[in-house]
Amino acid sequence: MTDKLVFEGTCWKFGDNIPTDLITPTHIMWKTPREMAKHVLETANPDFPLKVQPGDILVAGRNFGCSSGRALAAKALKATGIGAIVAELFARTFYRNGHEIGLPLLEVGGVDDLVETGDRVRVDITRGIVENLTSGKSIQGNPPSDFLLEMLQAGGLIPLLKSGSKYFEAVTLK
Amino acid sequence: MNVIEKILAKASGNKEVRPGDVVVANVDLMVMHDLSSNFVMKVFENEMENAKIADPSRIAFVFDHNFAPATQQAAEALAAVRKFAAKHGIRHVFDSGQGSVHHVIVESGLWKPGQVIIGCDSHTPIYGALGVFATGVGNNSMAALGFQHSLGWFRVPETIQVYFHGAMGPAVTPRDISQYVVGRLGEDGAVYQAIEYAGPYIQGLAVEDRMLFPLMSIDVGAKCGYMNPDEKTIAFAQAHSAAKDFEMPMNDPGVAYKQVLDIDVSRIGPQVACPPTVGNVRPIEEAVGIPIDIAEVGGSTGGRIEDIRMLARAFEGRKVHPEVRLQVVPVSRGTYSTALREGLFQILHDAGANIFPPSAGSNQAFNMGAMAEDDVMLSTQARNFPGRNGHPKSRHYLASTLTVAASAITGRITDPRG
Repeated sequence: MTDKLVFEGTCWKFGDNIPTDLITPTHIMWKTPREMAKHVLETANPDFPLKVQPGDILVAGRNFGCSSGRALAAKALKATGIGAIVAELFARTFYRNGHEIGLPLLEVGGVDDLVETGDRVRVDITRGIVENLTSGKSIQGNPPSDFLLEMLQAGGLIPLLKSGSKYFEAVTLK
Repeated sequence: MNVIEKILAKASGNKEVRPGDVVVANVDLMVMHDLSSNFVMKVFENEMENAKIADPSRIAFVFDHNFAPATQQAAEALAAVRKFAAKHGIRHVFDSGQGSVHHVIVESGLWKPGQVIIGCDSHTPIYGALGVFATGVGNNSMAALGFQHSLGWFRVPETIQVYFHGAMGPAVTPRDISQYVVGRLGEDGAVYQAIEYAGPYIQGLAVEDRMLFPLMSIDVGAKCGYMNPDEKTIAFAQAHSAAKDFEMPMNDPGVAYKQVLDIDVSRIGPQVACPPTVGNVRPIEEAVGIPIDIAEVGGSTGGRIEDIRMLARAFEGRKVHPEVRLQVVPVSRGTYSTALREGLFQILHDAGANIFPPSAGSNQAFNMGAMAEDDVMLSTQARNFPGRNGHPKSRHYLASTLTVAASAITGRITDPRG
């Protein structure tokens, strides 16, 4: 991950209401994230797990990662090596889980109309901007809160707890 | 402040919290099912160094997807969790066959009003009917902050009030009303928000029925759901919580809401959530006549004693349609025992239904409920997403117990109003 939280890659588009059931179905649940990555989202797009490249950008519609709160869904997507996920709106549990494992996420209303599968896309998480390098158009979205950005910079919740954060100063960590 | 803000303020040592604040709060109870307990265990053992569990008495594992593991892989996963629990002194392990996770916890009395409860399960908000702030969190949150420090991080949510009035029509149940709300708000209609369920209709419901509403809050994307507690909440806590010295949190007068939604219950008929998602909720008229292969009364939203009573009444002197497999799954051993005592299982058995052990039933098709490509299921389960129960093209409809009962008799989705 770059310090700047800027990612550039090829776009893979998915629709609205993609549930965790389609990201990591039950039958692959006991595999490791690396093994799960070979099957992630295969029902929604069989090409995705076969052809996704490190640094690619996944772009989804509304409510991405709904249904079960299974954190495996975010872990399996991260294991594909994708740079970031941009969505019109994330399901709450997915948004939380993604940040906790250091997976860059950006919520951008209107992104569905901005990009198509195969476009080159640049995502600036901190500034909340997604840019279609193929068409030259860009839109402003909602960057994560300061707390979530801090977690992302640290690489997730576990490293953040190790490095310390003002958010945890008020409580005694044993 | 409202109930949720008060609980979060107290648990985080703040005088006041506001929507948008990020707080680190004390967590009283941590709930996991057989799958998530295994995932959290792996994070704890593999991704954290020299980690210790701060207070094992705040952790509860309920093995509900597997009522009896059907594969070696599942058996190994459960065995590993048992070993982990023994090693760390986690005593609240409710093993296979005890029932559906949150119903088991409600019956266990491990909860108490005013608490913060987190679960690695998206239906954790159910405890919001009991004067509790409850929400689902991820495996890393649970292991690193929960297990290690008895803490959780939360963004204080904005609150939407849904105000219900009017009386339910014939053959309409609270399940139809809660499902209607999902369709009305939309499955991303309350993402990151809290929902307060209020009004004379909610006040008139028993606490057992109220629980359906916060339970289904996740299906509109909400962080949590709750009712402002009343005398029924207090009586329920006195009867079912092991703690007798609780303080019931209540809304301050005149709390503000981000949005208020008004619902006249008397205008709502039976509802069916059609494939492919929980938000595709239609009046039953739009689904009537669809042939079904599997009918199920079970799952966290449908295997309660009230459901089994309704189902048995519908089958007195009637038979399950020959082309339908009717599955009945009680939510707990307590429910199972009551159903036995009241003779309900005898009626259902004679009608041709199959009775399954207390568990999550066909939820995610772990122990049961896998569907072939052409299968159609109508159930009281909470979810119908593609791929959740076997073939992604199989079709799963969700409805009330009365609708499932009427349809299991005719073999087609049937309006329970006759």
